[in-house]
Amino acid sequence: MASKRNRAASVLAVAAAASLAVVGLATPSHAANKITIAFVMGAESDPFFQAMKVGADAEAKAKGVTIVWQGDPAVYSPATQLPIANKVLALKPQGLVLIPTDPVALQTINDKAIAAGIPVVNVDTHVKDLSKTTSFITGDNADGGAKAADAIATAIGYKAGKTYKVVVGLSSATATTNVARLDGFTAAVAKKYPGIKIVDKAYSQSVPATANTNVNNWLTKYPDLAGIFAIDGTNGAGAAAALQAKGLAGKIALVGYDAYPTVVPLIASGVFTALVAQNPAAEAKLAIDDLVAVINKTAAAKSIQKNVVIPNVLLTKATSAADLAKYTYVAK
Amino acid sequence: MSSPVVAPSRIKSLFGNQQFILLLVLFAMVAFFTWRNPVFFSNAVFGNILADWSPVVLIAVGEFFVIVSGGIDLSVGSTIAISGVVSAFSMRALTANHVGQNMTLFLGLLTCVGIGILVGSINALLITKARIVPFIATLTTMGAGAGMAIVLTGGSQIGDGPAKAISLSVPDFGPLSRPGIVIVFIVAILWVIMGKNRFGRYTYAIGSNSFAARAAGINVNRHLAKVYILSSVLAGLAGFYYYLLLSVGAPTSGQGGELQAIAAVVIGGTALAGGTGKLSGTVLGALILTTVTSGLIMINVAANWKQVVVAILIAVAVLIQEFRSTGGTGSGPIRRLLTRNSK
Repeated sequence: MASKRNRAASVLAVAAAASLAVVGLATPSHAANKITIAFVMGAESDPFFQAMKVGADAEAKAKGVTIVWQGDPAVYSPATQLPIANKVLALKPQGLVLIPTDPVALQTINDKAIAAGIPVVNVDTHVKDLSKTTSFITGDNADGGAKAADAIATAIGYKAGKTYKVVVGLSSATATTNVARLDGFTAAVAKKYPGIKIVDKAYSQSVPATANTNVNNWLTKYPDLAGIFAIDGTNGAGAAAALQAKGLAGKIALVGYDAYPTVVPLIASGVFTALVAQNPAAEAKLAIDDLVAVINKTAAAKSIQKNVVIPNVLLTKATSAADLAKYTYVAK
Repeated sequence: MSSPVVAPSRIKSLFGNQQFILLLVLFAMVAFFTWRNPVFFSNAVFGNILADWSPVVLIAVGEFFVIVSGGIDLSVGSTIAISGVVSAFSMRALTANHVGQNMTLFLGLLTCVGIGILVGSINALLITKARIVPFIATLTTMGAGAGMAIVLTGGSQIGDGPAKAISLSVPDFGPLSRPGIVIVFIVAILWVIMGKNRFGRYTYAIGSNSFAARAAGINVNRHLAKVYILSSVLAGLAGFYYYLLLSVGAPTSGQGGELQAIAAVVIGGTALAGGTGKLSGTVLGALILTTVTSGLIMINVAANWKQVVVAILIAVAVLIQEFRSTGGTGSGPIRRLLTRNSK
């Protein structure tokens, strides 16, 4: 009797754990006559992709397209993306939007889809050989880094001949977006603001508490710190909390990246000097438009631009409420 | 004639005392970092270190109880994430409904504790009823918790909670913040429980020999359930602490927390085989870990070196343990890690 009860309890426990663990590959059912476009993206947990999905859903609704949205829940890696891409192709979508996590590893899938008559658009990042893809649409991270440098220089009242200490909080030393933003920032500083010295850099591994620790220690180490460039959302959250806790909000220039709904209000309250916003929703919209044109063989298909760079936008106190609302990522 | 014999043996026993070695390591670190950058020896830096130490010591102490009982808890980092975001959601809703800030924070704290009890109960059921080894059981809840935190939030940080949250993380008792004081108090109570109370004795007894403990009349399963729930509740409290620190609930908070907790316990001289170890060692182990973080930043060493330094500390601590437990024969307790509590 007791062992039976034990068995029942264990089954319950396993079921509870399993139900917690289900992060399934659910695919929406779709009508046969509707166009189905599959998005295979990097990592579902990234708000950047969440914002992209909002744009994709809106455009899909407008165009009467069904979207299959798939990617690893958290890991941005070709090892997890490849099997997902294969499964999605097996569903035979009419079009594929691929956000390759690696330029070489995803090339085969990219070409396999095209060989099967499925047009492919690359978004954000791209495979090595784009010759057969319909188009490639991306944001400009290097330009975003340069804009961040401008924003910091303006906020600290940069004057030639003076020196200013600035630190950069990153998430990873290798993530392509981090690298491009830092390169753009460093290049702009070297060219236009030689008095700005990047005195420290540290990595948060996408954990805001780690970013917070880094900034707290920098604030102690450099009492004369002029500015912080927080290269992504987790670094922005960590830095904003550190400045607020130490009563330094508004006294040290803080430029962040990505317009998450939690940080946009902090521009008005002066914690963030500026935010560099991308427009992932616009990228998704354009990708769908390109694919629909190709699939329906409309006139627009002939005038598709092969390479599109959607510029980043600087959000500051001067930005209108309408623009703030437009660029703020939609999140749960 | 006896005094020349006594003196070396006393020194020997002092160096055989892990806590004493840990204190020496800690002082040596503080001295080294201060030598390289005098700013290190300041209230501000100690404040930074203790702010980092507070959540780490919570999960490390929970992990200490689990490891002494002969198990392991890999889910503490994920419990931080899931409790932090669920509590952030509830505090956001309460704030939107104009509930007072103190009441909101209190309910947020209760939510974190509740999530801790839930995760701990699942761990306990998997381990004591389904008879899954702790390593695998907590690996499941670790993955499920981290996944759920991302599913619930879509990867975003959850803010718009009580505005005063962030002010609570400011150090106003010397280098300690108010939540920091509470955490010191919690750790002190657990220290007493582990050292003086039946709960502690049972934990040691089960960890050293669960058959003998059962034969001696200890309800092993019930006790293990309490231990795993305690560990998860402490992780839930750490989740709440991170909310106060950042004033957002982040799905990535606590990422790698289980490794920090295990590192603190191991550096603190507790054998992974269970049955032995001192809580004070774990507390010092956590302090050493967080001192390394701040120290390396202060002396301009790239942050990635932290992992290397921590790895060396772990290796040295384990070598000392292996040497002490086997007299240098090398038939260490680590290989028993994966098979424990499965009987």
